Amino acid sequence: MTMTRRSFLKRATISGIAAASIMTGAGKVLAGTRSTGNYAILHDLNKCDGCVHQDTPKCVLACRVKNELNFPQPQQPIKNYWPQPKHEDWSGKRHVTDRLTPYNWTYVQHLEVEHQGKKIEVHVPRKCMHCDNPPCSTLCPFGVNDKTAEGPVVINPKGCFGGAKCRDVCPWHIPQRQGGVGLYLEVVPDLAGGGVMYKCDMCHDLIKQGQQPACVNACPRNAIMFGPQYELHEYAQNWARQNQGYVYGDEENGGTANFYISMIPFEVINLAIIDQDLDGTTGRVDMAVNIENPLDEPGNILSGLLMAPVAGVLAAGISTYQIMKGGNDVED
Amino acid sequence: MKIKRHNTAIRFTHWVTAMSIFVLLFTGFGQMPVYKRYYVDQLPGLAWSSNFLATLYLHYLAAMALIFISAYYVTYLIVSKRWDIIPRRGDFKESMQIFASMLGLAEEPENDKYLAEQRLAFAVTAFSVMALIVTGILKVYKNLPGMEFSVGTVFWLAQIHNLFTVILLLSVIVHLAAFLIKANRPLVASMFTGYIDREYVIHRHAAWWDKLNKEHREAGLTSPPVHPEAVLIAEQGKSCLDKTGNSS
Repeated sequence: MTMTRRSFLKRATISGIAAASIMTGAGKVLAGTRSTGNYAILHDLNKCDGCVHQDTPKCVLACRVKNELNFPQPQQPIKNYWPQPKHEDWSGKRHVTDRLTPYNWTYVQHLEVEHQGKKIEVHVPRKCMHCDNPPCSTLCPFGVNDKTAEGPVVINPKGCFGGAKCRDVCPWHIPQRQGGVGLYLEVVPDLAGGGVMYKCDMCHDLIKQGQQPACVNACPRNAIMFGPQYELHEYAQNWARQNQGYVYGDEENGGTANFYISMIPFEVINLAIIDQDLDGTTGRVDMAVNIENPLDEPGNILSGLLMAPVAGVLAAGISTYQIMKGGNDVED
Repeated sequence: MKIKRHNTAIRFTHWVTAMSIFVLLFTGFGQMPVYKRYYVDQLPGLAWSSNFLATLYLHYLAAMALIFISAYYVTYLIVSKRWDIIPRRGDFKESMQIFASMLGLAEEPENDKYLAEQRLAFAVTAFSVMALIVTGILKVYKNLPGMEFSVGTVFWLAQIHNLFTVILLLSVIVHLAAFLIKANRPLVASMFTGYIDREYVIHRHAAWWDKLNKEHREAGLTSPPVHPEAVLIAEQGKSCLDKTGNSS
């Protein structure tokens, strides 16, 4: 085969233009996918009294009633997650309300904190934060954990395999696993899969019908608000500015759709949680501030992925030019 | 006497592809929560394997290498016009004949530089890699802050990416299993050195051998890539094939 320098350059240019147009074309398509109109919830810790005179906080109760049909109905006996000598089964502890379980998607932390020399009771309703860029959703290997257009992050119980990766990558380890239920039972339940992951879905079905989440309606002190995310974010910021208060959930993990406002710094609240609520098992949730979202720093990765084909075309240009410049084309 | 089979560009492509796919498969499977559960992270040196972010970024890095080398190879093919590995009409039938010949049911066809089944296997592998790159890039976009794909898009991206992972893994296994067949083994060395025995070419790749000699006669070269007596040897090679069928 013969090739002149000119024909080489022509072909190399054409392939380079082709590669570049594919890349820029893809960029245009993808630029239009950002959604608007997310909803959010806001917990006013200055109003929440933890329903201390009730057996169960009203928001927790409302959540359990509303989601009764969504709770798992596992097949017994539930086998261990081979080769691990354990499995997760909360079906015998459905009554538990003081932690997150597959049967309890929100709980209230009753804390005593010391602030400015005073002992103050603080009650913190906990549930999924519904992050703006949720690692649990983006990293789900089966693509069945979704950041919905309305804002809630929703796990599809029909597609979930129960590997609990979402719980591992969630900064708060919110989703909880129930074994003996779900898709893995249909595949090789002795060897792979672990059940289905459960967590708050912000009552996604109700939101789509134009209603509010169950916990919002149930709160006797209107301590839980529901509305468009930007409105609640603005409300929280204004409130904090006017009252020298604090906001949680606006910056954490790159931003969430679950805000908390309080007169007490969240560093102080988190210390109380660590001291009084955490017990070393999943389902008890800390409140660390300024959590960084590892997926929010993709700059170098992205430019690397975009530069890779360009570098490939250039390198091939050099290689093929050297082969052809050699005069003979006998692959020497 | 050796013949050049794989030039530096091809060997470079092959080994960068192989290494990046190896890393991509290992880290890709690590996106499922398997290495902790099955104690892989207890093996010496593999403690990082159950760290989802570590495997994710390794996956991205290896993906860069694969995209780089894919662009390199496509450009190389377009510029050099060496289409030996691209499937042709009749390849499916011909590869059936090769399988039949392995069982002694038919004569092996006169092979070109690559066997029909190699060309078909290449097409499957290349298509899988292409599908994985496209769905993979979309999955990276999805992970960016502010990027929200529809529920269905996310689901199908994951399914297609996972499906082609399985197809690619199978094609890698088939590729490696090919070296269980003794007749294919000299090709392992040639992917390192670039060279292969002339006798092997004469016996296994008669059509390529003819082509090499024809090219050299046409180019007016007095010294073929092989030997001054190339044409003569080619004739002998053919007669050797005629007598013994798939003797190689």
